[in-house]
Amino acid sequence: MALDRQLEILAVCGVGMGSSLMLKMTAEDALRSLGVDARVENTDVSTARGMAPDVVIGQGMHTGEIAGLAPVVITISDFLDKEGLEARLRERLAEQGWLS
Amino acid sequence: MDVIRDILTFLADNVFGQVPILIGLITLLGLLLQRKRFEDVLAGALRATIGVVILFIGVDVFTGGLTSFQTVLASAMGTTPPKADHSLTRFLTEQGGTIALVITVGFLAHVLIVRIFPAARYLYLTGHLMFWVSTVTVASLVTIAPGQDQLTLVLCGAGFVAAYWTVQPLWMRPLMRRVMPGDRFGFAHTSSLACLVTGYAARPLGSRGRHDTERLRLPRQLSFFKDVNVSTALIISVIMLVAVAFADDGVVGRASAEMDPKLSSWVWALLVGLRFAGGIAILLFGVRMFLGEIVPAFKGFSDRVIPGTRPALDAPTVFPVAPTAVMVGFVASTGVFLVCLAVFAGAGWFTLAPPMIMLFFVGGAAGLFGNVVAGWRGAVLGGVISGLVLAIGQAVTWGLYERTAPELATLADPDWYAIGWLLKAADPVVGDGTIWLVPLVALAAMVATLVVLGRSGRRGTADEPEAADAGDKAPAGA
Repeated sequence: MALDRQLEILAVCGVGMGSSLMLKMTAEDALRSLGVDARVENTDVSTARGMAPDVVIGQGMHTGEIAGLAPVVITISDFLDKEGLEARLRERLAEQGWLS
Repeated sequence: MDVIRDILTFLADNVFGQVPILIGLITLLGLLLQRKRFEDVLAGALRATIGVVILFIGVDVFTGGLTSFQTVLASAMGTTPPKADHSLTRFLTEQGGTIALVITVGFLAHVLIVRIFPAARYLYLTGHLMFWVSTVTVASLVTIAPGQDQLTLVLCGAGFVAAYWTVQPLWMRPLMRRVMPGDRFGFAHTSSLACLVTGYAARPLGSRGRHDTERLRLPRQLSFFKDVNVSTALIISVIMLVAVAFADDGVVGRASAEMDPKLSSWVWALLVGLRFAGGIAILLFGVRMFLGEIVPAFKGFSDRVIPGTRPALDAPTVFPVAPTAVMVGFVASTGVFLVCLAVFAGAGWFTLAPPMIMLFFVGGAAGLFGNVVAGWRGAVLGGVISGLVLAIGQAVTWGLYERTAPELATLADPDWYAIGWLLKAADPVVGDGTIWLVPLVALAAMVATLVVLGRSGRRGTADEPEAADAGDKAPAGA
């Protein structure tokens, strides 16, 4: 782990209650498998604009709106696809040098 | 014996009657059962508790904004604003503990049902709707059988919501299978009846193959509408400004002076729109905070008790399949709702308040299911049906909750209206002494549905239309 602090990850959806919470749980599972120390939060797109996470995860409807919010933005279409998200996270975190 | 009675009275008044404390304790228990670290347990329980406190503050701001909105709009149209002697704030203070217990006991019952009946298939996991459906159910029970003790309300409410959470994803299953052929998760959202009606009504309109919305290109300017905070503030403010132009100066002056005597009524109108949106944002923030702790705890528990069950999830989990259909449904439902607002107010019937969140999620979901059946025409039909249901539902349901929390009519989804009116229809039969019929009939109808579904599943035919029919009958029986 090349990052010397806990990774901040944000799962977003329209109102920040139902689907982003599911996404948060999927992301937590994926990060546990990757062995990454991360804190995952979930919120709505409005609130997300005022935050500065390392990684944003959401569906295309929302990630398009907040593309510049974080160094890593991951667009998903399946909220329960742990393996798919894990692969994407591994690739993108490695790109940033946060994962060796 | 006096000591025991004193302890029970103390618990009833200070724990079961105080939602923040009760939710905090339930979360604490959930986190302890998951064997979380000490600091996570403490922080999680506190976050859940603060979330409930914030929820109450948000409801207060929201209902204040709603009153100004309705007063000015009614004055502009020359009608009387809808009356409210009771408020959601007061109802949550009085019955909040009951609601929290209905969610907990109802969820445990639901887990047990899913464990026993393989045909139940889905575990309902949309936390905020578990909260609101329990609230609507308790409000309806209090309306038809006032003066029940807390234990009766909790058990009757929990039995009813457990039956609803079990059957609702099942009646959406035939439509969901067309959207998500893998059947990895079900649909757990209180827009279900609008979606179901759309799914059947859209059939003659065409086919997805020829009219798929995802081949349309929508104007970029619509995109900011997807942020419900923005669209709520914008639409309510614009309606307020127009209303101020036509309303009685005295009425507007008195209302704006309450906020600040020096304030121009135009700026006041704008501020009311913004505060209304702000109140809803605070309310949602609070709900998000306690759900973030409770839902993973519920899920952790059920994963252990019933490993491998399919979850039933919130509506936006299917939105990536057809985002354009969602926007078409949302825009159509909002348009229809605003037309209804003008027509109803013009006729002097009722001054509606546009519920942007519901117009987005109900209109969007119905649009999506409409598209899967009949392409863009189906999506438009879904939006139109949602707009009509939300407008008519709001107007006719306000009075239903006049003795509990009329604002529940303003913040509602189609299934909430159905539950409210279903229980109201049972009123002549179900009085104070017979309130137990509510959970008993609901659970009996649910078991009958599950047995029928289980039989057709075992025959290996997995006949979808038959399954759909059985699912359809359940809400009428419940």
